[in-house]
Amino acid sequence: MKTLIDRPPTDDGRRDVLARMPRLRRIVLSRAFQPVSMLLLLAPFVLAVVAGLLGTPAGNRNFGIVFVWIVWWAVLMVLLVPGLGRIWCTVCPIPAPGEWIQRRGIMRGGAKLRTGRRWPRRLRNMWVQNAGFLTLALFSTVILTRPSVSAVVLIGLTGTAVAVSLLFEKRTFCRYVCPIGGFIGLYSMVAPIELRVRDPQVCVDHRSKDCITGNEYGYGCPWMVYPGKLDRNLDCGLCTECLRTCTMDNVVINLRRPGADLAKPAPGRRIDEAFKALIMLACSIIYPAVLFGPWATVKEWAAVESFGGWLIYAAAFLAATLVVVPGLFWLAVAWGHKGSGSDLPVRRAFNDYAHALIPLGLAAWIAFSVGFALTNGSYALGTISDPLGWGWDLVGTADVGWTPYLSGAAPTIQAAILLGGLIFGVRTALRIGLRHGPPGPAGLRAAAPVAAFLLAATLLLLWLYLG
Amino acid sequence: MTGAKGNRASLVLLVLIVVGIPSAVVGYQYGLRPALADHRIVDITARAPEIGGFSPDVVRAEVGETITLRFAADDVTHGIAIGPGLGIDSGHIDPGHVGEITITPDTPGIYTYYCNTWCSPDHWRMRGILEVVDPGAPGAVAEPSDPIIDALDAASIDIDTEPQTAEGIAPDRIRGRQSLAGVAVPPQLHDPEWRFSHSPAAGLAELQSANPDLGDGVLIDVVAYLWSETPPPAEIKELYAKNCAACHGERGAGDGPAATSTIEEPVAYPEAAWHRRGDIWYAKIRRGGMGTDMPNFGTIFTPEETRLLVEYLRYLSFSGR
Repeated sequence: MKTLIDRPPTDDGRRDVLARMPRLRRIVLSRAFQPVSMLLLLAPFVLAVVAGLLGTPAGNRNFGIVFVWIVWWAVLMVLLVPGLGRIWCTVCPIPAPGEWIQRRGIMRGGAKLRTGRRWPRRLRNMWVQNAGFLTLALFSTVILTRPSVSAVVLIGLTGTAVAVSLLFEKRTFCRYVCPIGGFIGLYSMVAPIELRVRDPQVCVDHRSKDCITGNEYGYGCPWMVYPGKLDRNLDCGLCTECLRTCTMDNVVINLRRPGADLAKPAPGRRIDEAFKALIMLACSIIYPAVLFGPWATVKEWAAVESFGGWLIYAAAFLAATLVVVPGLFWLAVAWGHKGSGSDLPVRRAFNDYAHALIPLGLAAWIAFSVGFALTNGSYALGTISDPLGWGWDLVGTADVGWTPYLSGAAPTIQAAILLGGLIFGVRTALRIGLRHGPPGPAGLRAAAPVAAFLLAATLLLLWLYLG
Repeated sequence: MTGAKGNRASLVLLVLIVVGIPSAVVGYQYGLRPALADHRIVDITARAPEIGGFSPDVVRAEVGETITLRFAADDVTHGIAIGPGLGIDSGHIDPGHVGEITITPDTPGIYTYYCNTWCSPDHWRMRGILEVVDPGAPGAVAEPSDPIIDALDAASIDIDTEPQTAEGIAPDRIRGRQSLAGVAVPPQLHDPEWRFSHSPAAGLAELQSANPDLGDGVLIDVVAYLWSETPPPAEIKELYAKNCAACHGERGAGDGPAATSTIEEPVAYPEAAWHRRGDIWYAKIRRGGMGTDMPNFGTIFTPEETRLLVEYLRYLSFSGR
């Protein structure tokens, strides 16, 4: 284990988490940390695939559906992303086989495969992730209910990760392709956890840049990020390699103010990120409408019960996510921006203000996931005992019936979460407005239409959840 | 742990996960679990007939062999029964659940496992065969002949001929019972076998001959009572409710929830009963209706159950009219 260089704590409200938890620090700095975590999660992943392919087609009795789309999804969206940012990417088993093949080793690599091609420059953004997410989203009703389809998706994601790892360098799949990693990265900017360098100047002065090249303690950043310039959670996969490789002990995991990445100046914000935020917000409205709403025909279309119906659904879905919601948001931004005195192009303002959608989008997904988990979580008890619906009773809970939890309180909980997201989002919009325009009321006026957009989206969501 | 050792250990763990988990799952289900059982277990997938029905749909067993049939409902709620004459009913099996039936058949024969919970428009096609053979006398199990159907065949009676409808006749068995004391009843009308092979209309002709002074209204009611005097046992009502009511309706009026999806309108018993012989009804139930969606229940019901069912149809036909 490398030597710990003693440095004074930072003075900007951020707290070095690992400095306060030496045992956790030892675990995280161990080279076995990530591969062992991935291996451990590979076990339920493999079981989910096996259950999907061989188990009962009844989704509510199949481990592949219940533990992926109810348990994992709820844990991811309610706990992991808002609380720990990209922690799932640290332990996700999907890229593991590709990475291990690429490195020719699990704990420590042998001679690497001679691949290492760089991802095409034109695709170094979130558009592939956006397209992948929308593709999955178009079939989500089927994926969420049919175990065999769900298994094929999991196999497809893993296969794609292997293929990309064989063709391209490092974690290109996670950084630019993974449809799940895209929104986890986006929403991780809300999390109160970040990986950063303690002192950027140390990185500037340190010539060997072990965090990029790797050394005996770990690999060069698999996510192709230079930690010295890391100022947002978006692109950091929390793989913790730089914590190991930094010989200056300059990389830290901070506890910070939630959403610290959202309103601060970040010239690198792009329209693909803005569209990611808009797509996710739009989907967070469409999903509860389709899955829980009273429109049976729309649900049938989404479930691909007829190809013609699905085409109508797909067209409406894509129009809503790529045209209507972004268009309305553009109008809101342009309206506020006009006359604000800011000399920024509207497109830049659009990209910036889209970050005000992130807290509400995350809140909407949490509300959706909370409702979903409370309603369907009891299925987990049955499937843990009989994961394939084959009549097993491993832990004596196979016959536990479906019991929705807190069904009376769920709408109130969801409403509170949404209102929290609205407040957080409006605050972010106002801070962005103040940064863009002239200080004072003019800046706030510029953000007002965006705040109104957020309010309208929240009211729509409240209507869907509260009826 | 050194890099090489760590890699080896993690590789072993990887193989255990990727190969071990699927092997363990499949090995337990198809190897260890049957091996640990003290008798044979047969896993049967149950799906609506439109998407496969039972798989497998034929199971063979020997007389005296204990066998567990595990029915896994894959799509919708099913209910599994085995007949004829075994009285086995699993109750509802919801999607993703498994219902087990353990039997030790003591008589060779062809039995039918079938769904008795309305599961799809083709629900009645959801059947499988349990063939029980005597190891001491192996070979194909012969279908038993049915003397009632054989007699109809011998008399060249076409059971698919539509019965004449009883226009203007509204028999009431309760009124008939009250009127019975004042009516001279020929002895054959008290004979269940005669009534079984004759329609109520034929019985009316006999009564008219014996009671020329009485009006048809009274005599019709008396016939209705005589043709339905035996109260049906509760298990026959349940048999009807589970197997017939979906098409023919709870009260036999041909208005069950599945009536709109059948090729021909299901028979409404009150309309058909007056001119219908019991043995023809019996034959139709056991053999099924040619060119209609009326399934054959001869592989499910015993002859005794079928006769009781015919009596129940009479009871339904003449109650409350």
